[in-house]
Amino acid sequence: MPPVNDPVTLAEIATLHDAYEKALAANDIAALGRFFWDSPDVTRYGVAEHLYGAEAIRSYRQSNEVVVTGRKRLRRHITAFGADCAVVMSEFSQSVRGKAGHCRQSQTWIRFPDAGWRIVAAHVSLAQATNESTWSAYADQTAAALALALAPDHRPGVIQNLERAASIAAPLLAHALPPATEPAPVFSA
Amino acid sequence: MSFDAVTATAHEIAAAVRGRRTTAREVTQAHLARIAKTHAQLNAFTTVTATRALAEADAVDASVADGQDPGPLAGVPYAVKNLFDLAGVVTTAGSKINRDDPPASRDATAVARLQTEGAVCLGALNMGEYAYDFTNENCHDGNVRNPRDLARSAGGSSGGSGAAVAAGLVAFALGTDTNGSIRVPSSFCGIWGLKPTYGRLSRGGSFPFVDSLDHIGPFARSVGDLAVTYDVMQGPDSLDAACTSRPTAAATPHLDDGLAGLRVAVLGGYFGQGGEHCVHAAVDTIASALGVTQRLELPVPELARAAAYLITATEGGRLHLDRLRTRAADFDPPIRDRLLAGALTPAAWYLQAQKFRRWWQEQMRELFRHVDVLLAPATPLAAPLFGQDTFTFAGRDVPLRASIGLFTQPISFIGLPVVAAPVHSVGPLPVAVQLIGAPWSETSLLRVARVLEQAGVCAAPIACPSP
Repeated sequence: MPPVNDPVTLAEIATLHDAYEKALAANDIAALGRFFWDSPDVTRYGVAEHLYGAEAIRSYRQSNEVVVTGRKRLRRHITAFGADCAVVMSEFSQSVRGKAGHCRQSQTWIRFPDAGWRIVAAHVSLAQATNESTWSAYADQTAAALALALAPDHRPGVIQNLERAASIAAPLLAHALPPATEPAPVFSA
Repeated sequence: MSFDAVTATAHEIAAAVRGRRTTAREVTQAHLARIAKTHAQLNAFTTVTATRALAEADAVDASVADGQDPGPLAGVPYAVKNLFDLAGVVTTAGSKINRDDPPASRDATAVARLQTEGAVCLGALNMGEYAYDFTNENCHDGNVRNPRDLARSAGGSSGGSGAAVAAGLVAFALGTDTNGSIRVPSSFCGIWGLKPTYGRLSRGGSFPFVDSLDHIGPFARSVGDLAVTYDVMQGPDSLDAACTSRPTAAATPHLDDGLAGLRVAVLGGYFGQGGEHCVHAAVDTIASALGVTQRLELPVPELARAAAYLITATEGGRLHLDRLRTRAADFDPPIRDRLLAGALTPAAWYLQAQKFRRWWQEQMRELFRHVDVLLAPATPLAAPLFGQDTFTFAGRDVPLRASIGLFTQPISFIGLPVVAAPVHSVGPLPVAVQLIGAPWSETSLLRVARVLEQAGVCAAPIACPSP
């Protein structure tokens, strides 16, 4: 078992993570890209995107300018395993496209003999999905319960249809019916 | 008088075949030729069953030669929406996915009953995918074009049925109606359509969409043809759990009974406003011809439509759940997204819709103590152009496809019988008016339709599409 939380390693990672945060605040895409392992095996999950490989991450950054404002770190927890591996978990409050949210970030860092420290896996999520339809979580969970895989390009249309159905259902649900009214199914014995 | 097999009604064809003035084979060949000639323009058929048709025709001719009566539909050519089983043909239901199914092993109940009465089946007709459609814009089989104007939709989801009857490719056709899929093509194509009472005609051997709301019914160019085809398709059927065991009630013997004893009213309020002027002018034309002045309003029809929407989405989504799991990419995208969302509908919404259905049925039952026939537009507009996405309703733009069923959905929601009566005098394009009755009152509706036909107010002339 390698030494856990060697102070030198912890300090190195803290400095690197600070620099990453600075590049993020400056929306410095080139710098952000350099923090990631340049490999088809690097992964990054965003709040909505699922990126596999360095090329997918680069391409996402270039085509999606995300303006982050008021980013404030609430908590950071770094754990180092030996001299070449570390995990960074952090919470932020921030505003993305004008919407406030509570954000979680996790990063796995590895030190490579040639390239030095690089992020090999990362995941960002929102504790309150303020930019998502209230129906998106419902759609995902109900679909999962039915063993119905929603393809990413089908999902927006499904959520839109659920929103439409909800607005159609609202006045019907508000319509008071006599308690004795039974449903009108087809079955007759 | 010379006999023209293509313009003749089913009654005229059967009379000519039984009277040996023509043969079923000649009638069949004339129609097969017309189908071949117009197919590139209309795209109404997906399968032409020429071999079957000629065999059925020959059987009719042999029966006549033997001195037997082949039945009231002797040698009458017809075709069916491609969700009806035809032995040896794959029932595609307008989809790509069902093309992988094996061919049907036997005919649908309605098809078998028509065959028994001498009718000759020419094939299967284009439809909107899985019947979840009002414009018959089918991304797998191509759009059905309206024989009255090839730049326009024939309506859906039974669009091939509407176009085939309007263009004289068949004397009558079968379609289905869950939220308006018989009445909408009747309106856009300007022909007669009958959506009977829920449970009156067997759906056995047809590919379903929404068990609670599905109906089958005929399209034709005369009221007599609508009546005779309806009459011969009646009867109980163990293949359809909703099919009634009530005694059959033939309409044909009463067609000429006139309006005596029938109280007719125009539906106002929700049904009396919005949409194109011509659809309300058509209602006024019929009301005036019948001398009707009474106007009635239904309670909360917009909620009946909402409930029909939810039942449709929920049952349709459940029906297709396995296909959505394994072949989601093979659906037409807008239909797939509606079905996926429908599969996820909360149970409480669905049950409220079914409870509301019972309550609304009670309200309507009370109303029908005071009236026998209600008049309302079938569609809020005449046939729309391909590529059209909106139309003006009550002063604002509304989405076309989601709004075509405004006037049909609340009625089929509780299974009321409707005759769609075509009016050609209110503009360059025809529209249909719904003659709506209490459950099991098809005969009354057909009597009213006959009066309108004889007065020249309603008609379904053959359209000759120009190439």
